[in-house]
Order: sequence, then structure tokens, then C-alpha cells
Amino acid sequence: MVSAASARPVHPEYVRAQNPGKTARKIATRIALIVVSAIVIVWIAFPFYWAFLNSIKPAVDTFGSKWIPWVQFEPRLDTWQRVWSIREVRQGLLTSATIGLGGATLATAFGVPAAYAIARFRFGTKGNMAMTNWFLSQRIMPPVIFAPPIFILARTLGLLDTVLALVLLAGTFNIPFVVLIMSQMFRDLPVELEESAQVDGASRWEIFRRIALPLVAPGVVASWLIVLAFSWNEVFFALVVASKDAIPMTMYIVGLSGTRGVDFPAASTMALLMIAVPTIIALTCQRFIVRGLSLGAVKG
Amino acid sequence: MRGEATVEAPVRAAPRSEPSARWRARDRAKWFFLLPGVVWILLFTIFPLLYAIRMSLHAYRFGIEGAFVGLGNFQRLLTDAVLHEDLVTTFQFVISSVAVEMVVGVSLALLFNREMRGRGLLRTLATLPLFATPVAIGYLGITLFYEEGGPVNAFIQTLGGSQVPWLSNPFWAKVAIILLDIWQWTPFVFLVSLAGLQGLSQDLTEASEVDGAAWWQSLVFIILPLMAPLLWLILLLRAIEAFKVFDTVVTLTAGGPGRATEVISRYTYITMRKFSDYGYAAAQGFLLLLIVAILFTLLWSRIKHNYGAPR
Repeated sequence: MVSAASARPVHPEYVRAQNPGKTARKIATRIALIVVSAIVIVWIAFPFYWAFLNSIKPAVDTFGSKWIPWVQFEPRLDTWQRVWSIREVRQGLLTSATIGLGGATLATAFGVPAAYAIARFRFGTKGNMAMTNWFLSQRIMPPVIFAPPIFILARTLGLLDTVLALVLLAGTFNIPFVVLIMSQMFRDLPVELEESAQVDGASRWEIFRRIALPLVAPGVVASWLIVLAFSWNEVFFALVVASKDAIPMTMYIVGLSGTRGVDFPAASTMALLMIAVPTIIALTCQRFIVRGLSLGAVKG
Repeated sequence: MRGEATVEAPVRAAPRSEPSARWRARDRAKWFFLLPGVVWILLFTIFPLLYAIRMSLHAYRFGIEGAFVGLGNFQRLLTDAVLHEDLVTTFQFVISSVAVEMVVGVSLALLFNREMRGRGLLRTLATLPLFATPVAIGYLGITLFYEEGGPVNAFIQTLGGSQVPWLSNPFWAKVAIILLDIWQWTPFVFLVSLAGLQGLSQDLTEASEVDGAAWWQSLVFIILPLMAPLLWLILLLRAIEAFKVFDTVVTLTAGGPGRATEVISRYTYITMRKFSDYGYAAAQGFLLLLIVAILFTLLWSRIKHNYGAPR
């Protein structure tokens, strides 16, 4: 990816010829790369594999050194069935899904047009930068600050312990994320296309709707999915607002972790159920993740 | 992107086509695009913030607004020894985890910034911890760090070490939450700095190589200075996220043993939901806001170029 495009002033072979000690170093580098890659892969993958193993192993084998299903033990799905049969788990997953879908849709609906405004229009000499700065500051604001007033406000409005409150919170607090990412994406579009449409008499809305939006559609979908993952993973506001009827899966897990004695197979299975959705999203949005997590500063 | 990166802006995209004067013209349409989002956020943030100010000036008991106490809640911030202890814990957590993540993440990015087979796979794998639900990771952590034969201890004992009291010893419990954070967020530092490195021009490093610079010389004098704005950005984002740590602590240690891993966010949450002391919780929120705001202001001038501000 790197070498093909950049024109090199000096042929690399020339550099190498000047430097005979390089071959030995190349081999050393290669070995180091393989060793480090192996460590990194095991380090990252181990917790996932451990959870997977425990979810299909009978509880008695938890601490045995049985690592390979089918070879060392017969995998069983009874833990999965047991976990799925818990009403709170199904309810929690449904609530999490609602918060994820609702929050993502809300954040995208408000965020994308605002991103377009910042990318294309001029708000005074410093307005655009100030706006980006403001959204960024909103993004990094610790949610703890909002927790006390939001609890009291939700109580006043009768929104305590409702999924609606959690959808609104997830949606609102992710708008800045969508704005930051999407304004960078809109800026990357060549403006000429939109300007020629303007000459042809199209309105701002038509230009946005028919030209700009379709061109950034993959980015919009990716931001929607990433916000879905954020909202799915969220637990703080749930702990503040929910108590009985609107408990997402994350909050249910917090409740379980507080009890003494951990049921390893069930804990692993629930962790996997929780992680599955954001993992699929991470795999789908590969291209956008670096840009997303650096809040638009770096193209992936 | 790769060819055009310059000394001025190493990690920025190629110059974009700027909207012409047509867009600069007075245009009411822009408000139509911008305002819904801004107003919506303001509704949900400014109003609660103002309300939080009011709350912080009142004594709340059991969720009911009580007497006006002026700055009483803020004075408590100064004298609350428990809060100070939790602040120290939070700082310890932030400094250790972010330092390790930066060093390891950037080193790995430098190492893997070359043509090699399987790099795509490595990058894909690295994205998985980033999105893994923190609450679930913390919960899984209880099993990973299980003292009697859990996999982490089993591994340490295979290497000849002794059993580590991960969750029952105050020091090791702190190490455990730091390790979880490192597991989850080192990939972030790695991926973003790798993307930055790939945006650097190859010509500069090659030229320095031709001039006989050792690898560490091109690293210290060329690559790191060019990467500095991006590294500051990564540091800022990580530090601020780390200050908010809550989820993994709640499930892995619940602040324990004792108060060893009690962090500021969890303390505020407990103040609020367990002690129903909303006024004091609001005051604590402002303290955290102050810390984050200071961090942001200190680093913003270093990183704003990443967001398209003119130099």
C-alpha cells in the first residue's frame, strides 16, 4: 500500500548495497516480527477464546487444562440454553438492542446534517472551527457531570426507568461523534459536483439529499453502526436512570458481578452474548474505525 | 494521502477542494442543517448543567431538594479524605495505563509499519478489544484473574511464578484494572499511530537512510517530530477516556478490595444512588469537569491542527 504510489528518489537496492550489515538485520527483524505478532495475537485473542471455551465446557472442567473442543472434551450447548432461558437476559438484550438502534438513529439523524453544515457552509471567520471545538468538547465531557441533574429531571418528567429515556440519552450524547466524523467525510468530497448542481438551480436540501448524502452513504452507515455499538455498550446512564423495567444487558451484568461466587460458564456466555454485537460491527466497519476513534482526525 | 503528506501537516489528508465564495454567501439554509443538532444537544446538556449548578448549591437528602447551602458542597470536596483517596487512585490508574498504552502501542505501530503478510489480519484483530463491551470484559475479568487456578495465574505458575492475589490484594487489584484497560486500549494507540505513520512520506526516512542515519536517528529526528501532533491527540483522547473509567471497575472489582480501586466516577455514582446525596454528587461532577477541561485546554493548542485549524 505504501510503496506502490510514492515515487522513490533512490532505488532501495542501492541503499542496501551501501550497507552490507543489513541482511543480518533483516533476518533479525523478521524473526522479531513473527515473535511479536504471535504474542500480540495470543494476547488479544485469549480472553475471547477463554470465554468461548467456558461457554461450551461443563462447569467441572473449568479449571482443567482442556483447551481444544472435540479433541479434549465434548462441547455442549447447555450453558447457552440455560442462559437463554433466563427471562432477564432476553429482556436485557432486547432493551440493549432498542437503545442501540434508537440511539444510533437519533444521533445520525441530527448529526449528519449538522456535519454537512460545518463542512460546507461558512459561519464567520472562526465559526466553523469553534463549532468543531464545541462538538469535540461535548464528546469528551464526562457523563458523570450530567448524572445528578439527569436523574432528577427524568424523575420530574416521569421518564425514570423507561427505555425512552435511555434512547434519548444514548442518541444525544453520540451526536457529537457523528458530527466530527461526518464533517471530515463531507470535506473529503469534491465540492465541485455540489456547486454545479447549485448552478443548475438545485436547492441546498436537494444538493445534500441527492448528491452529498449518497456519496457519503458508507460513512453514514458506519457511523450509525459505531454509535449503535457505543449505545449497546453503555451502562452508566442505565445505572442512573433504570431500576426495574428498562434494564439493558450491561446493567444486568453489573448486577450479577456484584453477587458472590461467579458461575464461570454462565458469566462467559453472557459476556459473549454482550460482545457479539459490537464485534460484528467492528468487523463490518474496519475501514472507518481508525477515523472514528480518533474522532475524525486520522483517515484509516 | 501517502505521497503528499508534508512536514507541515504529516497526518492530514491531501488538500481538499475548498467551497467557493458561493458557500460563503449569506445563506439561511445553513442554520436549517446545523441548528436541529445543536439545539437538541443544548437541551440535553446546558439545561442539565444549569440544573446541576443549582443542585450543587443545595443539600439534597434522599433525592429531595433541601436547604440552600451555598458553597457547602464544594467545601466538602476540599475536606473529603475519601474523595482525595479516590482521586489519587484515579490518577494512578490514568497515568499507568495510558503510559503503557502509549509506549507499547506506538512501538508496535513502528514495528508493523512495513510491508508484511498478515498485517491486515493483525489490524482486524486489534479492532476487536476496542468495541468489546467494557462491562462484559470486566465481568469476564473476574474469571480471568480468578486466584485459584484462573488462566492468568495458571500461566504465571507455569512460568514458575507464585499465585498472585489479583482481586483480594489492594495493589494487585489496581494492577488488574490497569491490565484490562491496557488490553482494551493499546490497540487504539496502535491503530491510530499506524495510520499516522502510513500517512508520512517515505521519502524523508529514505533520504535520511541514504545519508547514513541509524534507525534510531531517523526515529528521533524525523519520525517522532512529524508524528508529534498525532501522538498528542492520542494521548489526550486516551487520558480523558481513562479519567472517566467506570464500567470495568464496576464489574471487575466494584471498587474493592476495601476502596483500593474506587475511582472518581464510581464514587460519584455511589454518592448519588447509594447515599442519595445529589448536591454533593453534582459538586463532584464539576470537579471532574474541571480536571478534564484543564487537560483539554492544555493539549488543545497542540492538537487542533488535526481537526483542520489553520496553524
